[in-house]
Amino acid sequence: MENFFKKVTKDVDLSFAILLSFCVYVFFSLNIEIFFSHNISFAILERFAVLGLVGLALTICIIAGEIDLSIGSNAALCAVIVVKLTDPLGAPFAMLIGLSVSTLIGAIQGFVIAFIRIRAIVITVGTLMLLRGVALLIAEEKTVMLTDFRVPDFITTKVLMYFSPASLTVIFIFICVGIFMRYTKYGREIYAIGGARKEALTAGIPLRRPMVIAFALSGFCAGFAGTVIGLKSGTAQGLGLQYLLLAGTVAAFVGGVSILGGKGGVLGAAIGALTVNFLNTGLVFYALQVHFVQLFTSVLLVIVIVFQTMSRVFDSRQSRKSLLATIDERKTTLLEKKRTVLGK
Amino acid sequence: MTTITQDNKTPFSSKFLQFYKDRTLLAILLSLFAVMFVYGIFFTDNYLTITNFKAIIRDAALYGIMAIGLTFVTLSGNFFLLSLKETASICGVTFAMGMATGFGSPDLVGNFLVSLLAALSVGVLSGVIQGYFVGMGGNPIVVTLGGAGILYGIGAWWSDNLVINFKRPHDAEWLGTGSFLGLPSITLAFILIAIAAELVLRHTNFGRKVYLVGANKAAGRATGHENFSMAIIVFTICSVCCAFVAVAFVAQMDSAQSNYFSAEFGSSGDMTILVIATVMVGGNSIMGGYGSTLRTSLGAIFIAMVDNMMVLQGFNSGPRIVGVGLMIVFSIIVFGLFAKGSRAQE
Repeated sequence: MENFFKKVTKDVDLSFAILLSFCVYVFFSLNIEIFFSHNISFAILERFAVLGLVGLALTICIIAGEIDLSIGSNAALCAVIVVKLTDPLGAPFAMLIGLSVSTLIGAIQGFVIAFIRIRAIVITVGTLMLLRGVALLIAEEKTVMLTDFRVPDFITTKVLMYFSPASLTVIFIFICVGIFMRYTKYGREIYAIGGARKEALTAGIPLRRPMVIAFALSGFCAGFAGTVIGLKSGTAQGLGLQYLLLAGTVAAFVGGVSILGGKGGVLGAAIGALTVNFLNTGLVFYALQVHFVQLFTSVLLVIVIVFQTMSRVFDSRQSRKSLLATIDERKTTLLEKKRTVLGK
Repeated sequence: MTTITQDNKTPFSSKFLQFYKDRTLLAILLSLFAVMFVYGIFFTDNYLTITNFKAIIRDAALYGIMAIGLTFVTLSGNFFLLSLKETASICGVTFAMGMATGFGSPDLVGNFLVSLLAALSVGVLSGVIQGYFVGMGGNPIVVTLGGAGILYGIGAWWSDNLVINFKRPHDAEWLGTGSFLGLPSITLAFILIAIAAELVLRHTNFGRKVYLVGANKAAGRATGHENFSMAIIVFTICSVCCAFVAVAFVAQMDSAQSNYFSAEFGSSGDMTILVIATVMVGGNSIMGGYGSTLRTSLGAIFIAMVDNMMVLQGFNSGPRIVGVGLMIVFSIIVFGLFAKGSRAQE
């Protein structure tokens, strides 16, 4: 516990994220009477099951120093596959197929990025369009629907007052990924290639393995988010779920990742996703139109980016100042030495 | 990029080969062009008609102009904007507001010039603000992703998410549906803008600076060309191009809505992604410093050609989006493999 506090106070971005999420929560709790209640907490966790996963997927990519734009399409493709296959094959088998497809897509993306050595944004813009087309093809340009609604009923049943099977699974995934990123060699490699790629490559870390793992993980998370959305609503569309990119990016950046890579973590992603959920859930009570939700989410993103950029500029100025100060100091000591030597 | 040829007496064929060698990607694009063209002639009805050709160029013009604007951003090493369609939508709403209501004053209703200026200045404003944040050191993707949400939100808020109509005899008809010399005016605008952009990039001080900053940011900074001012200028150019396309599109439709440019625009899904695809299929380096607006224009015509052919063959939107997506991924991988081992590798 003490370790945790130390970590939080040391990490400026994480403490900013916690402060921001706390502020948003308190704001809505004061303004809306029922916001601070069991049911709303359940609703927030239900939303967290989707958004947290997307935020986690983007967090992993950004930690590796890249950004995956194809997350929405990947989720839509997985949702279409799962919803389409649930009726003939049953939910577990359909989920297996859908998730392995999206994980494979992620792994292939990671491999191409590491093999050709291009930036991920370049290739993921292409796959964004390609996967959307494939999802449309599989769905035959229609909305795919479930006929058996036992599965949606099952995954939204209340367990332990706040949780549902979906959100419990997501929390379990969060814990697993957190342990993987923090305590295994492969997880640390992802941090290494994000934070200091040249140094990591020189030190002997292969680029291909962490890149493939990072993108496979993010593909898995995106696919799982698509699965949850698809199975919960019982429908899926090839063109849907594009809003996930914005929401996931906001969650990741509020959670304290740096666009330069190598920073942030699973805890931050969870807090970021919760913040976005507080905002979205709170705005529901004002009965606003969809574009207002998008507007406020984007404003949140801009606030976080401005904070991050300013702190970076401030840091670099500070370090430059201190560098100049040390140079001055050395000059004066050298001059004094010279003077004393000459004086003798 | 440029080669110095000293011997002018080389035979034409070897010169031609040299040209191809220097511009491998352009060559690939032109060859693909030829293949598609021949395929289209033999296997598609009504493909080789003047009307269809005009339709292709007209399709290409709308996203071609935006792509030419985006090429400046890409060449200067600022990747791309994810807020293209949102910028276009807010500018379109502004223009339609001016044409329909005159921004509240009855004297200005239907005043083309005022509406155009208002739309363009909204474009300039959004470009300057986004460029400022990017120049300060923000990541272009994330900044414009946030900007996209804000622009769309403001546009939808202002128009109440309704369709804004203005009646048919209006001053903007010449831009939307009129034509000069047998060509639609938007097509002429595309050709003129393409030529102007190519001249600016090749033969002006500013154009060379764009290449310099894109190719090597550190060298640019060392020679006094900061990315700060460059980002603001290129983002403004791109946003103004979006505003112009929005005005032309709204003038054609006699109405505007905040999601006119969203999903299912044209045929290949999202307008923003389509424009980025155009830039990439043309073979411009997304890392900056390599490419030209000529490539972008060719990319736009190529995508329009393939799309048109698939429409004529009776494909649905799914296979068409897959086709464009495959083109992007293919061009990225080919470009990446060619650039492997050179400075494009970070």
